[in-house]
Amino acid sequence: MSAPLFSFAGVTGGYGATTVVRAVDGEVAAGEACCVLGRNGVGKTTLMRLLTGHLPLQSGAVTFGGRPMDGLAPDERHGLGLIYCPQDRPVFDNLSVRENLTLMASADADRYAPLLAAFPILEDRMAQSAGTLSGGERKILSFVRGAAETGRLLLLDEPSEGVQQENVERMAAFLHEAKAAGRALLIVEQNLAFALEIADRVIVMDHGEVVLAGNAADMTEATLAAHMHV
Amino acid sequence: MDPILTTNILNVVYEVSTLAVVVLGLAVVFGLLGVMNLAHGEFVMIGAYCAFFVQTQNLPFLAAVPVALLVCIVLGLAVERILVRPLYARPFDTLLATWGLSMLLREGVEAVYGRGFKSVAVPLTDSIDVLGADYPSYRLLLAAVSIALVAGLVWWFVRSATGRRIRAVVNNPELAGSVGIPVTALARNTFVFGCCLAALSGVLLAPLMPVQPMLGLDFILKSFFVLVVGGLGSLVGLISGSGVIGGVESIVSAFFDRTYGYTTVLIIAILFLWLRPNGLFPRT
Repeated sequence: MSAPLFSFAGVTGGYGATTVVRAVDGEVAAGEACCVLGRNGVGKTTLMRLLTGHLPLQSGAVTFGGRPMDGLAPDERHGLGLIYCPQDRPVFDNLSVRENLTLMASADADRYAPLLAAFPILEDRMAQSAGTLSGGERKILSFVRGAAETGRLLLLDEPSEGVQQENVERMAAFLHEAKAAGRALLIVEQNLAFALEIADRVIVMDHGEVVLAGNAADMTEATLAAHMHV
Repeated sequence: MDPILTTNILNVVYEVSTLAVVVLGLAVVFGLLGVMNLAHGEFVMIGAYCAFFVQTQNLPFLAAVPVALLVCIVLGLAVERILVRPLYARPFDTLLATWGLSMLLREGVEAVYGRGFKSVAVPLTDSIDVLGADYPSYRLLLAAVSIALVAGLVWWFVRSATGRRIRAVVNNPELAGSVGIPVTALARNTFVFGCCLAALSGVLLAPLMPVQPMLGLDFILKSFFVLVVGGLGSLVGLISGSGVIGGVESIVSAFFDRTYGYTTVLIIAILFLWLRPNGLFPRT
């Protein structure tokens, strides 16, 4: 078996001297989705920030495309194809919806066409500043931005938070397409049904540690819920 | 129109527009990096000494512009790397560090040129008749250049891709990195750009003021007052702050004398800090 596109081992870190995430391992291969599950405050977002370079690792290693990521700034990781849609403040509130989408891309919006067709709500609000969107609409904007990028790895932190069910289903459809196109997905979710629909692997976290990991096919919602203490 | 009134109006326009250029550099750096560069005035001073240096070499006045830009690019890059970048998350330390830098730069220039006043010859000595008032053409040109510079920069900030990216970083630095904006490089370039803007002001203002090592203090103080009055949030605040501070000072100075001008500005700044600490246009 070839090496996974993205892997991390013993990832430990947090804020300053405080350790939030301890010795978390995981990997995602091209065309595969891994979902990170867990209650609020167990360190899922911190894990994402450690993997994307927004927080320094206290120990552990992150490898993407066979290349160690240590010391690389978030924009350098982005340049290598690591696309990240954060949970909190997922868009630039002071820019318009259009500016959010074209900030780093040329004005040609071809790559957005299928996404905008699926989420017409954005098309109607192109000129509006993103700060005036609802929480769910901001998540959709962030999702559209990330899904349209060409990077091989997509890290999504709670993409479905506050998003209406029909739009969550559309997101799932795009994520299946992305997997079919050979992209690797690492997704933090609270929505179990959504997570299980796309996930090939699952990591459940509690108190900053992995309490359960394995193939999604082997897990039932009941097993997962038991490990999440919900 | 009454020539005295015309002269006073032109003086106000001159004061406000030249002040706005200096404050713009300071404010852009603060907006993007969260760093209040207390050595900003010293970059104005270095620009003025570049004009003096060029004069001693018998070169044309405008040769001072590339000289000052070169000096400030080198200096700005070094300061950003050594002093500013390691202290990004520590605003109070940055204040101390840049204040220390300002002393170092003053002493450094004093070591080379001494404490005495130097004068730079005014490149345009004639005056122009404006609505009956005889106004020095260099001052007029300088006001026009300053207005064009501020307007051009505002336009660029609103319209250009780089301007949009700067606004994105100001709004959400973490997301900015993750969408691929090279945040560190952008911050570095912005810092150097702010230094260059100060130096350019220094060159252009040099013929109209005594060139001496302490001249930067005056600019940093006034720039602060502008930011106190206008608020740190926006270009509108910056321009209105420059209007209030530059305008009041030049009007009061014209009717009484410069000491009263300074005093009035100081009182206004204190009143703002007391009653309206976020300025006219607070950051939202």
